[in-house]
Amino acid sequence: MRLPRFFEKKRGERRTGSQVWASAGEAAFYAALLVAGLVFGGLLVSGVAVPEWRLNHDFLPARGVVLAKGLQRRSVADSPGVVHTTWAPVVRLRFPVDGVTSTAWSRPSAAAVTPDRETALARLGGLPEVGEEIPCWYDPEAPDTVVLKRGYNWAMWLLTLLLPGALVAFGGSGLLRSVRAWGKSEERRAAAVGLPEKLAPLGQTPAETPGFPGVPACDDLVNSPGTILSYRLPIESPESWALLGFGLFALAWNAVLVVLAVGAGLDLMGGRIDWLLFGLLVPFAVVGIGGVVVFIRGLILATSVGPTQVEVSNHPLRPGRSYEVLVAQGGSGMLRSLELFLELEEQATFRQGTDTRTERAVVWSQLIKQWREVELSPAARFEAEATVRLPERAMHSFHSEHNVVSWRFVVRGVPDRWPAFCRVFPVVVFPAEAAARAGRPAVEEMAG
Amino acid sequence: MTRNHDRGRSQPQVDMFFDHADRRYQPHDRLAVRYEMSGLGQDEVRALEHSIVWYTEGKGEEDLGVHSFQRITDEALLPPATMVGSFGTDLPASPLSYEGVIVKIRWCVRVRIFFVGGRDFVSEHVFDVGTIPPAQRVASRAVAVAEA
Repeated sequence: MRLPRFFEKKRGERRTGSQVWASAGEAAFYAALLVAGLVFGGLLVSGVAVPEWRLNHDFLPARGVVLAKGLQRRSVADSPGVVHTTWAPVVRLRFPVDGVTSTAWSRPSAAAVTPDRETALARLGGLPEVGEEIPCWYDPEAPDTVVLKRGYNWAMWLLTLLLPGALVAFGGSGLLRSVRAWGKSEERRAAAVGLPEKLAPLGQTPAETPGFPGVPACDDLVNSPGTILSYRLPIESPESWALLGFGLFALAWNAVLVVLAVGAGLDLMGGRIDWLLFGLLVPFAVVGIGGVVVFIRGLILATSVGPTQVEVSNHPLRPGRSYEVLVAQGGSGMLRSLELFLELEEQATFRQGTDTRTERAVVWSQLIKQWREVELSPAARFEAEATVRLPERAMHSFHSEHNVVSWRFVVRGVPDRWPAFCRVFPVVVFPAEAAARAGRPAVEEMAG
Repeated sequence: MTRNHDRGRSQPQVDMFFDHADRRYQPHDRLAVRYEMSGLGQDEVRALEHSIVWYTEGKGEEDLGVHSFQRITDEALLPPATMVGSFGTDLPASPLSYEGVIVKIRWCVRVRIFFVGGRDFVSEHVFDVGTIPPAQRVASRAVAVAEA
């Protein structure tokens, strides 16, 4: 018997053998998750959910007389030599069961159990006094089990359903995918995209243009008419994302800082000074203030320049053809220069250990037009048109799950008093050969 | 073409003949290939798959797109009864073959032979779709002024 091999050649002519182990390993991993989810869920249901459900449905009501009050101590040996003790206030009740008088200590609710004896003692005072008659519920199958309260712990039910449910869903869908893919070549799997692939957790294949495999759909780029030319292109500003990131960081950091500061303030008012907490507050405050400053500076920079707008005479673009492009810049003040580029960028997403990384490379860039000493006025925005011609043998836009080749117009400006800015406007370029070879327009021009 | 010299086993070989000797095609062209299998030895074949696919290479994870796929399980069409085969397809409009810096797109014809023991052997033959020139990383932002 030949054992499957782990490593094989990737390209050219080769035998493959690792697929057996890969499929078996993947199936075993997902099966383990599924089993873990089922076992964990079963334990939670049988150990926690079912008793609580019985308590609310099967336990019979009765009126009991309080005979005594006390603390229930429960000691559990966590590890050799370490004993974990909990305390709970309980009452001893006398209550009728099928005409016969029964006595039993009440079973404490989970919320009443505490590791602190003093707290339990304090809670004991909140229980009914001796001789008082109170409502209670007892288990008809074991009348010495009696409770003073009923109800559901919804947080526990959510935990019961959520965690095992996630494990079962993830493991089950993964196992289904593995079983469906068992013994199939990668071509056969790719040719038959079905339910298992749709359940894939990382399946992020973008929408593509019908008839043009790998070419991204451009519906979102042609749904906004321009003021002068046919289409106004949506902006994809990396600065906006960075600004949002700084804002969220500043918000989260300062929220933690406020919580710490309130705690320190309460200590101070109570006459206690926690020097460790105060020592931590200083660097926390410095970082928090720094985050706010960086965010406000970015916000001022983003809003001081004014909006940039790019319009194009036609879309999608095709190699070898010329297009009119309008650049409009709002705001006020002086721009030392304003440049319009057409760029081709490659983007590759890959895994490095447990991280997912994305690398970008600009592989073609053409300066379409440059304007110098641009005076911006709030009353009328700066507007200028330029003509761009795509190379005859330009690569078309391409988008697969992990690899992207994208075209975009890039506007770079250098304000007189502010740092330079860069704004990106994606476009889609179709293959040139497609229309010529087919003898028909591959995709109808969306405007003329 | 790469060969795998694996001691103790048969050394399958698939010779592929394209209808364009230079293996260059344009979108929507008809692609036709003929192949000959040899070196299968005593290994029994249980299935054969023909496919025409594109895949990505480079820094990113590999993506695969299948344009045409056919699985043959009829014994009369499998070795040893039949050692040659042919198939073809009309190529799509995209994606075009691309030699980028960190993203590359390649087209290939694959013949995969499944043996009874559970192993398989795949033979891959690359061809080009379109005539996109290789890309180069742009060192500086401004390359050329398009208009005077």
